[in-house]
Amino acid sequence: MLKLLRIIVALPAILFLIIGLQWAVDPAAAAESLGMPLLDGLGRSSQIADTGALFIAMGLMILSGLLTGRKTWFYAPALMLFSAAALRLIAWLIHDAAFAPDMIAVEIVVACLLLISSPKLADKQ
Amino acid sequence: MKLSPQAVCITLLATLFNLAHAEVARPNIVLILADDLGFSDIASYGSEIQTPSLDALAANGISFTNYHTAASCAPTRAMLLTGVDSHRNGVPNIPESIPPAHQVHENYRGVLSRDVVTVASLLQNAGYHTYMAGKWHLGKARDELPYRRGFSRTITLADTGADNWEQKPYIPIYEKANWFADGEETTLPEDFYSSEFLIDKTIEFIDSNSDSQPFFAYIPFQAVHIPVQAPKEFTDKYLDTYQQGWTALREQRQKRSKELGIIPANAEMQTMSSTHDWDSLSAEEKRFHAKRMAVYAGMVDAMDHHIGRLVAHLKATGRYDNTIFIFSSDNGSEATGGDNPRSLLNRLGLRIQGYTNDYDTLGSKGSFNTIGPSFASAAASPLAYYKFYAGEGGMRVPLIIAGKPISDKAKRSNAFTFVTDITPTILEFTSTPAPPEFFGGRRIVPMIGRSLAALSRGEVEQVYTESDYIGYELGGNAALFQGPYKIVKNRGPVGDSEWHLFNIVDDPGETNDLREAMPDKLADLLEHYNQYAAENGVLDVPANFNGTTQVAINGIRDRFGKQLLVLLLTSIICGVFYILYRRK
Repeated sequence: MLKLLRIIVALPAILFLIIGLQWAVDPAAAAESLGMPLLDGLGRSSQIADTGALFIAMGLMILSGLLTGRKTWFYAPALMLFSAAALRLIAWLIHDAAFAPDMIAVEIVVACLLLISSPKLADKQ
Repeated sequence: MKLSPQAVCITLLATLFNLAHAEVARPNIVLILADDLGFSDIASYGSEIQTPSLDALAANGISFTNYHTAASCAPTRAMLLTGVDSHRNGVPNIPESIPPAHQVHENYRGVLSRDVVTVASLLQNAGYHTYMAGKWHLGKARDELPYRRGFSRTITLADTGADNWEQKPYIPIYEKANWFADGEETTLPEDFYSSEFLIDKTIEFIDSNSDSQPFFAYIPFQAVHIPVQAPKEFTDKYLDTYQQGWTALREQRQKRSKELGIIPANAEMQTMSSTHDWDSLSAEEKRFHAKRMAVYAGMVDAMDHHIGRLVAHLKATGRYDNTIFIFSSDNGSEATGGDNPRSLLNRLGLRIQGYTNDYDTLGSKGSFNTIGPSFASAAASPLAYYKFYAGEGGMRVPLIIAGKPISDKAKRSNAFTFVTDITPTILEFTSTPAPPEFFGGRRIVPMIGRSLAALSRGEVEQVYTESDYIGYELGGNAALFQGPYKIVKNRGPVGDSEWHLFNIVDDPGETNDLREAMPDKLADLLEHYNQYAAENGVLDVPANFNGTTQVAINGIRDRFGKQLLVLLLTSIICGVFYILYRRK
């Protein structure tokens, strides 16, 4: 059961790594997958650096949590995902952005998964 | 001498009249290029396929029976449009098939070099309207498209090929079929069928200019490149034609070629090792293969029908009498597709691409058809080999130069001619000077081709003499022509990678190897081939090079390379974590 839980938690980590690395290797495709154009100049730099770093860091933190068994590693990515979901709602409600229920759902589900599973994964180390 | 005002006016008017007359006298040029059409695929070259439009052109022009191209598409197109050897014009092979070790060399990018000038640019400079409708395949970046290489109006496919019924790639190395209109990405109409559409666009371009300037229209058809697809009404004409199979067809075409005088009456023919035994097939298999070839014939027939529409339009608009037509193919028949296309693996692969190859719908929208090596050999009858190979079946194709300005009766030439001759020929027909040393601020690689204009008019018998050596190489398959002789080397899987010597005038089927009987001739030609290779920067292909495999590797790299790199990096990171986890 614990092995299965580790695999389930590892899957979003791998997905985040893929998305983050895609920003480094193929930023145009990465931008398109998130519904944005690839900007020029400083905008492109920020897109690649900030968005790429967000995803890579989340992936690495989850993997670090799985490796060390320290549940605090899971808190940061969970916090980031909750924040992302909240900001998507704000963007929709206040700033005329498109409503993105699929993405919000994924972010909340993964954040909850990390928070709920972290004590179990930590306890068994 | 003092001229009166009236005299000055008369002189000026006369001069203007003469200039205008000179403009009218310059002929229009229609350059039609079929794709992968075999040597005997049109009726006037021995085919059973009905090609009345091309036959009518042949009846008013000269048919060349010893004309050679490269054995693959893009190198032919690059030489055709520039008159420069493929190793010096940037396209020694299709870009999809160039090994990475070669791609670092300037002339091995598979993109038409900026150091050559196209016949379209020269004609455009000379005041011609220049149109192109069809396959380009000489570069797909914005400044590599025909719109930037001398064509003022274009509708063009940048890839090796594409579906004939819709805007869809035909092999998975492409994400989409890359069509461009006047240099911008475009989408095809719902009722698209390639041959019909390309002629419609050509007519539209021609009619868009009503001034007195002549035009040059380049029409590189998709027909009959894979996927072999044709309207049902054309296919249905041939459903019973190929029931006797490929061996009978090859023999039938050889016989007809002899009757027509296309080849010597005593010429022999060999059976390719890739030709399967028709008699060993089941009735169901024979029925399916016959349908494959019927669709192919329908596709040739449809192309001819639409060429006929263009000719009729030119006649109706009074342009025909001043138009020269040049018709040819880019290389010999295409053997891709194997002789077992109904295997589970093949059908699964097609299904993934959104295609089927069911008997009932073969040739229609959504179907993927090929003719395979056995029927490809019949399409190249009576020659040996087919596309990609340097055998005559890969390189010798029909060439017809026709029109009222050329001749009012059928003529034939057995003189050796080469694809690089087309640009110089067009330049002479149109009284356009050859490119100067510099063009557009760049030093230009000089043309090597010879004009066929005098040959077309019957003023000379040959354009190449015994002292001329014409070299050729593509993907390691190589040849050198001199007088009636040819040395040729074909790599696997069909060839043996050894040099052979043939007299291709007496023995176009390449059945009688003369290397033992004429060792001095072989040595002389080999020496000249090595000289050709050195002078033109021909690179040796890697020992294990295989064109088809290289296309797959390059295609995966180009289309999926970044994704694979991301997956590789992700795997490495995850692998490191996993190792640390296991150690812990």
